[in-house]
Amino acid sequence: MMPSGKRGQDDPGGQDVLRRAGDASVLILTSLADGPKHGYALIQDINGFAGLQLGPGTLYGALDRLERLDLVEALPTDDRRHPYQITAAGAAALRAHLDSLERVSAIGRLRLRLAGI
Amino acid sequence: MPGLPPARVVGLALGCYPRRWRRRHGTEAAELAALLIRDGVPARSIACSYLCGAARERLTRPPGRWLAAAAAAVLVAAGSLGVPLGLLSASAPASAASAAHAHPASPGARPSCAGQTGPQALPTLNRRPPTRLWAAAGWPGYLHPADGHGEHC
Repeated sequence: MMPSGKRGQDDPGGQDVLRRAGDASVLILTSLADGPKHGYALIQDINGFAGLQLGPGTLYGALDRLERLDLVEALPTDDRRHPYQITAAGAAALRAHLDSLERVSAIGRLRLRLAGI
Repeated sequence: MPGLPPARVVGLALGCYPRRWRRRHGTEAAELAALLIRDGVPARSIACSYLCGAARERLTRPPGRWLAAAAAAVLVAAGSLGVPLGLLSASAPASAASAAHAHPASPGARPSCAGQTGPQALPTLNRRPPTRLWAAAGWPGYLHPADGHGEHC
């Protein structure tokens, strides 16, 4: 069933809670999608698949924001480093965001092809 | 900060975060910085990242805390300036007087002291002056009417 209201019907990104969360949040959720990681592993992984060196201040800011939104959670550990894992809500939010990006990507490619650019 | 060792530079940047954040992430963040420095990332860029993060953290704190802090600061400042004595003790007789003027035919009203006849004239009003609350709370500078101060008639 389609959600009622303007955001659900007219706004294709209405379900996308990550739309305003920033690129770092999307990169972190994408990195956590294949299992829990701590800060250093997150930076290394994101550097590997996106070619971006995430600053540690940006990383912790995004992790705090995602944790407040219940999209990631810190796992208990005896070590000083906290691994983080994606929650079910985080996985759903990432899926919705990637779907939204795919729509934009498809439209962009189609328009470029039609324009002959 | 060219002369400082890298760990000290990062430590100074981490010190700019709020205490709550440092308790939560401080050790881990220092260790992460050490690992990144070992990988060849300049300590200065790590410190810059942490400084930006600290600024963001301080600017985007939940509004409830700083609003409460601001309200508390205003109350303390008002208390130290003696505002409650002037404003609060004047408010009860003034409101009662204006209410008494709205019921001029009230039989128990005395013309010379209309504000203090509120109990007979206006049974539905809360007759206890709010200043009692401040007195009960030990508000500085307040003189309680029952002690003979603050009586106008």
